[in-house]
Amino acid sequence: MLKIQFFSLIRILLKRDAIDIPWVEGDTVQSVLNKTQAQISTPFLHKLLDEKGASHTGTIILVNRKNILHLQGLQTPLSDGDVLAFFPPGAGG
Amino acid sequence: MIETDRYARQILHWGAEKQRTIEESSLLIAGVGGLGATVSQLLVRAGIGRLYLVDDGCLDWPDLNRQTLYGEKDVGRAKLPLAKERLNQINSSTEIVELPGRIDDSFLLPDGVHGVADCLDNYPSRFSLYRATQPGSYFVHGGLNGNHGQVLTLLAGKSQPFDEIFAGAVQPEGTIPVTPDNVVIIAGLMVNELFSVLWKTPKLLDRCLVVSLDEFNMAFLDI
Repeated sequence: MLKIQFFSLIRILLKRDAIDIPWVEGDTVQSVLNKTQAQISTPFLHKLLDEKGASHTGTIILVNRKNILHLQGLQTPLSDGDVLAFFPPGAGG
Repeated sequence: MIETDRYARQILHWGAEKQRTIEESSLLIAGVGGLGATVSQLLVRAGIGRLYLVDDGCLDWPDLNRQTLYGEKDVGRAKLPLAKERLNQINSSTEIVELPGRIDDSFLLPDGVHGVADCLDNYPSRFSLYRATQPGSYFVHGGLNGNHGQVLTLLAGKSQPFDEIFAGAVQPEGTIPVTPDNVVIIAGLMVNELFSVLWKTPKLLDRCLVVSLDEFNMAFLDI
C-alpha cells in the first residue's frame, strides 16, 4: 500500500488529508498521481502539472521525505509502503 | 515593580535558567518585514541578548497591514534603522546589530550566532541564507501565502539542505497575498520554536508544521 498525503491548499481542494493506494509493481510517481485522481474523482493534476507533465505551481512532491527533483522526478519508481506528500509551501514572509 | 521584574511573568512559566539562556544568546533575523518585524519584536521583549538584523528594503504603504514595528510616518524610510530604533525603545538591553543589504550567495553569517530565523519573502535569498548557515547551527524557516503558512527547523550540516527540500518551489508571479493575522501567527510559532532551539530542544527539527487558518488545521510534514 502507498500513502498519499495532502497539505495546505491541496488538502483543502481535495477535502482530505491522505488516501491509501494499492501498490503495483512498476508504479511511479506519475502513475500514482493518475490513480490518485481517478480514486478521488476531483480533477487536480491540472493544478500541479503543465501539459508536458512538469510541476508549474511550486508544489513540492516528496517521496519518503525526499523531493522528487532529487530522485527521478515523476518517473521515480515506488516501492510498497512508500509515502508521497504534496505540499505547496507559502513563499511570502 | 521595578525594571528587573520585566521578565517576571515569563520566568514564572519557563524558569530562570531558560531566561538566562535567552539573555546570553544571539540570533540572526533575515528580513524585518512581515515575519521579521514581529519575530524580532517578541525576541526583544523576551530579553534576547543580541539580534543581527538583515534587510535592504524601505517601508511602503502595503507593508503597514502586518509589519508591526512601523507606522504611517515611516513610509519611504529604510526599515533596518527603523527596526533598530523601535526595538531599542522596547528593550534597551538587547544589542541590535544592523546588516544592511540583500542576502545572496556572497552573504556571510556573523560568528557566534546561535540560530537563524528565515523571515525572508523569496526562495533565492532563502537558499543563499541556508548555504551561509554554518554546520551545527539551527535554521528556523517561516513562510506564508494568504491563510496558509509553514514553520520548519533544520540543523545545518545534518538535516536535508533547505534548497533540496524546497527545490521546485517557484516564486509566484506578482504580489503574494498576506493577511495581518496569519503573519503574526506564523511569526509567533517561529518565536516559540526559536526559544526551543536556544534551549536545544527544537520541536520542529526535520518536521514542517503546516498551518491552514481556513479550517484551523495544523499538520506535520516529516522532512
